[in-house]
Amino acid sequence: MTRYLLRRLLGAIPLVLGVATVVFFVIQLAPGDPANLVLSPGMDEAVIEQTRENLGLNDPLPVQYVKWLGSLAQGDLGYSLNQRRPVAAVIGDALPNTLLLSALALGIAFLVGIGVGVVQAVRPYSVPDSVLSVVALFFYSMPSFWLALMLILVFSYLARNVWELPIWFPSSGIRSSDFDLMSPGEQLVDRVRHMVLPVTALWLVLAAGVARYTRGSLLEVVGQDYVRTARAKGLPERTVILKHALRNALIPVVTLLGLYLPVLFSGTVFIETIFAWPGMGKTIFDAIGARDYPVVMASSLIFAGMVVVGNLIADLLYALVDPRIRYE
Amino acid sequence: MTLRPLSPVSVLTACLVALVACGDAGSDAAAPGATGAVARTADFCGPAMDAVAAYQAEVAGSPNMPGPAERYGGTAVVGGIGELQGGMNSLVSALHETSQTQIFVNLMTLVQVDENLEPVPYLAESWEVSDDATSLTFTLRDDVRWHDGEATDAEDVAFTFTRANDPETGFPNAAFFDNYTGVEVVDARTVRFGMTPHADFMDPWRAVAIMPEHLLGEVPASELALHPYGLECPVGNGPFVFASHRPQESWTFTANPDFPVGLGGRPYVDRYLYRVVPEPTTLLTDLLTETLDVYINPPPNQAAQIVAEEGVDLLAYEWRGFTFVAWNSRRPQLADARVRRALTLGTNRAEIVDALLVGYGRVANSSVPPFHWAHASSLADVDGFDPNEARRLLDEAGWVDRDGDGVRENEDGVRLSIEMKYNEGNQVRQDVGEIMQAQLGQIGVELQPTVVEISTLIEQMTTSRDFDAVTIGWVTELKVDDTDLFSSNRSEEPWAFSGTNNPELDRILATLQTVVDREEALPLWQEYQEVLNDEHPYTFLFYPQRLAGVSGRMNGVEMDVRGDWLSAKDWWIDPAERRQR
Repeated sequence: MTRYLLRRLLGAIPLVLGVATVVFFVIQLAPGDPANLVLSPGMDEAVIEQTRENLGLNDPLPVQYVKWLGSLAQGDLGYSLNQRRPVAAVIGDALPNTLLLSALALGIAFLVGIGVGVVQAVRPYSVPDSVLSVVALFFYSMPSFWLALMLILVFSYLARNVWELPIWFPSSGIRSSDFDLMSPGEQLVDRVRHMVLPVTALWLVLAAGVARYTRGSLLEVVGQDYVRTARAKGLPERTVILKHALRNALIPVVTLLGLYLPVLFSGTVFIETIFAWPGMGKTIFDAIGARDYPVVMASSLIFAGMVVVGNLIADLLYALVDPRIRYE
Repeated sequence: MTLRPLSPVSVLTACLVALVACGDAGSDAAAPGATGAVARTADFCGPAMDAVAAYQAEVAGSPNMPGPAERYGGTAVVGGIGELQGGMNSLVSALHETSQTQIFVNLMTLVQVDENLEPVPYLAESWEVSDDATSLTFTLRDDVRWHDGEATDAEDVAFTFTRANDPETGFPNAAFFDNYTGVEVVDARTVRFGMTPHADFMDPWRAVAIMPEHLLGEVPASELALHPYGLECPVGNGPFVFASHRPQESWTFTANPDFPVGLGGRPYVDRYLYRVVPEPTTLLTDLLTETLDVYINPPPNQAAQIVAEEGVDLLAYEWRGFTFVAWNSRRPQLADARVRRALTLGTNRAEIVDALLVGYGRVANSSVPPFHWAHASSLADVDGFDPNEARRLLDEAGWVDRDGDGVRENEDGVRLSIEMKYNEGNQVRQDVGEIMQAQLGQIGVELQPTVVEISTLIEQMTTSRDFDAVTIGWVTELKVDDTDLFSSNRSEEPWAFSGTNNPELDRILATLQTVVDREEALPLWQEYQEVLNDEHPYTFLFYPQRLAGVSGRMNGVEMDVRGDWLSAKDWWIDPAERRQR
């Protein structure tokens, strides 16, 4: 098992480097460069030249590439051209925010999604199944940015200003303006309140997909001989479904998890923008727009790494849910 | 995002009404792999912030509070779409939103301007200009201290000027000081500048915040851009003391108890926060749910909602920007001024202002905005919507529909077909494109609006000149200098994208910047704007008003063409209306 893990991780290094290399050259193909963006009327030629020189933009591309690789080998991700601070600090600020948001959303989505899928599959084509199907399809087909705006409308604006409910949720940021003046207990409550809407906007859409997969997969498994055997030998229905059938049915769901992991790392641009959540999605988006090459490169590296890790986790989970799968 | 830096002259605002925050790209001295700066953060910021904390503790006991006692206290929270790029370092950042916070919140300028835009004392208590306007001497207040207790003196002023003019600093607005020749520290409170005569020589001293020499004097100019001072530990001398900066999230400042009584003393509010919220809908919700007290620069289509909501007010005020279509006169279709004018006449700009700005703005005909003393009001109503006159001009210029396809051609068979580019994410500019496409189609012009990503668009405008027309905006300073835009001897420079070549304009532009006396300069400015209108390098679309949504509990909020945070130190909140904490 350890050898397998090691092999997989070592094998990922050339892959990740390959991705980074492609990104490095492709982004340089896009027109516009960082030095251009600092130009303004009245600016001295010498200043422009100095800027290009300082940014290392006067080096030929291969030289820039080798320099970048060299710094990377020393663990130096360089400086953000846009934010004017080390890339490590930029990512260090944004990544934890995104991971918190994603991990929570993913966790809730899979718990709720699998639960709903099981309830549906136990009594297929019943009224609860149909209702849940409609609800799941409703959220599954909804663009997440629209859902986010509706959540804000209902749980921030309407709840507070129109219905004047005692509980409403803030629409932006990860903490209140008064956060620094709060006691630790209040700070915790404040952070949780700010998390509710963005996490909900994410998990609702994800859970709907998970529920569809779980239902379909479980229905298929329930029809199989070994489940009939389990029932025939008198096992309670609960044990049959949760212990025998579900484990088998989870394999496609685990595949889904492997696919969602990296997407959640990078794919929350809309949610982060709408809820003013200072995370990676927004950071990458801004960096690409500003031709902030060092941040784009570092993010691509991390993203590629997350894809590898996501797939690895999925593969390991296969072994967990299906004893027939073993890794040597 | 406004696209970059303000220039002395003008600033390209790529996203005046941005739906996405555009990145303010670019550092001026980013040395990739410069790990040294990480160590500097600890070395510099630790002691600097300790000194601020120590001095603030010392003065907290005896604050300068000359105002009514009940006004002091509370937190004011303002929200805007973008991060304050570059932070509180006035030498490397000139993004409009950032410099507003520098000059009105954390730092000080030598002078401010009154409602007539005439300079009034601020950090400088008085100044004197020599008779021939070649020397300018400032006398500084003796009671302004940096937030760590050091006195603000003439060395700070000289340092700021010297660094701004050092190309290694990469100061984006160096042209501010075009007509300045040198600086001399006379004594601790007196500093003298040499200059060549200019009508608006005071403008830089309103716009550029003075920086602390005692902290940054030893920092090499080329390292200022990446110095942690601006983003992590600014030590200002203005009404508010820096408390914290959470990148992409918020800036927090606290009231400066040591701010001179002569300038109003300590601000009324205890704390001033700036929150970064990238989505306008969220900003609006935050304002309506009182999460924010001030929402700066909402798009005009949110104005009605702000007006309708109880307990929230809308401020609409004159702004230093204008939006225009630049025509690339290097293109055969656009080489003739008559064609360019016909395109203006064929566009119903009054309707655009009504529909897209919901009336918050007015039709523009000049690069000198209405707030400016040299604005030619005689041009206010020229070139109104007149499709028949537009058709006549096009006929006269030799553009006639020869093959009956509805689009005009010239003698050589070149079609009057124009691709008009605008930046992605800007709804107003997109709508402008569609309206003009429909209206100009009526006079036989094929206009094709094309969306382009902002970095790419800038490159195409300033470097490759790969465009027929582009819809974009400028923000001007109080000093207007269009030399870089329209002078033919700058035609190879980035900002001469219209390719204007008009000897008369050249002559006037060369003279305009040297006349000191406004009375004397006025006729020249008038002539300039008339000649510019004849040349018609741009179709000026409109001067938008700037909007702000302000919570009803905020008192003393004033905003005008001088700036958004103009009165921040005078904002106050009734004790009953304050936030719980």
